[in-house]
Amino acid sequence: MSLETHELRKAFGGVTALDGATVSFHEGKVNALIGPNGSGKTTYFNCVTGMIRPDSGRVTYRGRDLTGKAPHRIARAGLGRTFQLCRTFPRMTALENVLAAVPQGGLRSAKAKGDIERAMSWLTRLGIEHLAESEARDMSWGQQKLLELAGVLMAEPETVLLDEPAGGVNPALLDRIGALIRELNAEGRTFVIVEHNMDLVMSISDHIVVFDRGRPIAEGPPSVIRSDERVLGAYLGV
Amino acid sequence: MPNASRKIVAVGAIVVLAAGILVFPSLAPNPYILSSGVLVLNYAVLATSWNFVGGFTGYISLGHGALAGLGGYATGLLATKAGMPSFAALALAGLLVAALAVPLGMAALRVRGASFVIVSIALVLILLLVFQSWASFTGGSRGLVVPRPFDLTRPEHHRVFYFLFAGLLGVALLVWWLLDRSRFGLGLKSIREDEDKAEALGTPTFTYKLIVFVVSAGFTALAGGLYALWFGDLDPVFQFSILTGSYVVLMALLGGVRNLFGPVVGALIVGSALEYFKVEYGDTPLHLVATGLLLALVVIFMPDGILPAIGDLFRRFDRTRRSSIREVTAAELRDQRKAAV
Repeated sequence: MSLETHELRKAFGGVTALDGATVSFHEGKVNALIGPNGSGKTTYFNCVTGMIRPDSGRVTYRGRDLTGKAPHRIARAGLGRTFQLCRTFPRMTALENVLAAVPQGGLRSAKAKGDIERAMSWLTRLGIEHLAESEARDMSWGQQKLLELAGVLMAEPETVLLDEPAGGVNPALLDRIGALIRELNAEGRTFVIVEHNMDLVMSISDHIVVFDRGRPIAEGPPSVIRSDERVLGAYLGV
Repeated sequence: MPNASRKIVAVGAIVVLAAGILVFPSLAPNPYILSSGVLVLNYAVLATSWNFVGGFTGYISLGHGALAGLGGYATGLLATKAGMPSFAALALAGLLVAALAVPLGMAALRVRGASFVIVSIALVLILLLVFQSWASFTGGSRGLVVPRPFDLTRPEHHRVFYFLFAGLLGVALLVWWLLDRSRFGLGLKSIREDEDKAEALGTPTFTYKLIVFVVSAGFTALAGGLYALWFGDLDPVFQFSILTGSYVVLMALLGGVRNLFGPVVGALIVGSALEYFKVEYGDTPLHLVATGLLLALVVIFMPDGILPAIGDLFRRFDRTRRSSIREVTAAELRDQRKAAV
C-alpha cells in the first residue's frame, strides 16, 4: 500500500465533504477515484496534499504520517499533483514552468544545462517542446494541461495525483493522455486519478475507488465496479 | 532580435545608465541640483530594494517607507545615544532592521493581496505614533539631529553622499540580478504567478517570502540610514509617511517590476518630476495631483511599466519577428524557403 487515509473528515460549515474516508491506494498501479459531483473527491485530494487541513483522521504515505503537513513537504515526500482547473504559471515560459519544479538549490543558476535538458526532455515527451519559449498564458487549454503535467513530472514524484486529467480535452488528446499515464505507470510511477470520463477510467485503471457523500462505497478492478449496484445507484440515482 | 544583439543592447544600456549616473555630479550646475541627484538616487535604492518583494513575489508593500524610517532612526540613535561611528551605526542599523523584519514578515506575509497591502500600511501608522510619542528617546516631533560623518563643505558633502548612494544602488542591483537568475529567484517568481501551485510543486513558499522580505528590509534600512547621515535631521512625520512608500511603489511600477533596472528608471522619472513640481509649485499640493495622474496613466497605458512598453515598441517595428496566421515568423518562413530552394 502506498497512499492511505484513515477516517478522514472535513466539513465546510454545515456541509460534510469528507465523512470518515478510509481508503488505500495500490503502489505501482493506476488507481482511480470516481464518484458523483460533490462526493468529496477534490476535497480528498486537497486533504491528502496538505492544501486543506482535515478536521480529523490520518494521511499516511508509505507508512509515514503526512497529516497536516505543509503542501511543499508532502510534494517533497514524493506526491505530485495537478489541479482540477489546470494551473500553470501564466507569465512564465513553458520551459520556466517546468524548471520551477526543480526542488531548491538556492543561488545556483535556475537555467543550469542539466536541468534545461531534463525539462526539455519532459516537454518533448509530452509533445510541446516547440512551445518551450512561449508563455503559458498564450498556450491552449490542452497544451496547458500537458505543461502542468510536465512540471509535476519534473519534480520526479513516485506517486502522481491527477485531478480530472481529461477535463475539457479533445478526444485525440484524451487518447494521448491515457496512453501516457499507462507508459509512466509502466516505468514505476503510481497514479491516483480523479476523473469523470468513464471510458478513460475503465480503460486505464487497475483499481477503482468509488466515493459517495464523502466516503468510499465500493472498490475493486474495473470489471467489478462496472457491475456494482451501489455504484450504479450513486451515479444514476436508481 | 537574436540573443547576441539583444545582449549588446542590454550591455550598452547599462553602460550609458552607469556613465550618466557617475558623470552627473560633475555636470550639476549648483549644489541644489546635486542634492536633488542624491534624493533621486536614494529613491532608486529604495525602489530597487522594494522590488525584491514587489517584483519577485508580487506582494505590494506600502510599508517600505517605515523600514527606511527605522533604518534612519536606528542609525541616528546608534550614532548619538550610543556614540558609535557613523558608518558602524549604519551597518548595525541595517542588520537590526533585517532582524526585526523576521517577526514583521512572519506576521504580515501570512496574508495575501489587498490584506497584505493594508497590513503594510498599518506598520507605517503604528511606527509613526510610536516615534512621535516616545519623544524622550526619539526626539519626537522636534526631530532627531544626526551628526555628519565628514567635515566637508556642503557641495562636497552632497558629492560624497551621491557616490555612496550610487555604490549602495550598485550592490542592490547586483544582488537582485543574482537572485533573478537563481533557482531561489525562480521559486519566488512562481509565488508571484500562483502561490498555491508553487507550494504544491514543492517550493517552501513561506520561507522563500520571508527570506526575500528580510533582504529587502535590510537594503531599505541601509538606504534610510544613509539618508539620515546625509540629511542630518529626522522627523517622524517624514520618516514614517505613507507617501514615501507610495512613491516607491509608483516608481517601481512605472519602470517595470520584472526588470532589473525598472525601479531605477522609475525613480529617475518620478524623483525628478517630484523635485521639479516641489520647486515650481512648492506651496500647493500639486505635486501629489501630478503623481496621482502619473500613476493612473501608467496603470491604464503601460500596466507592465515603461521598460517592457519600450521593448514592445521595438518589437513592433522589427518585422522579421512578426508571425502570420501560420504561427511562423517572417524570418522562419524566409529560412524555410531558402532551405527549400
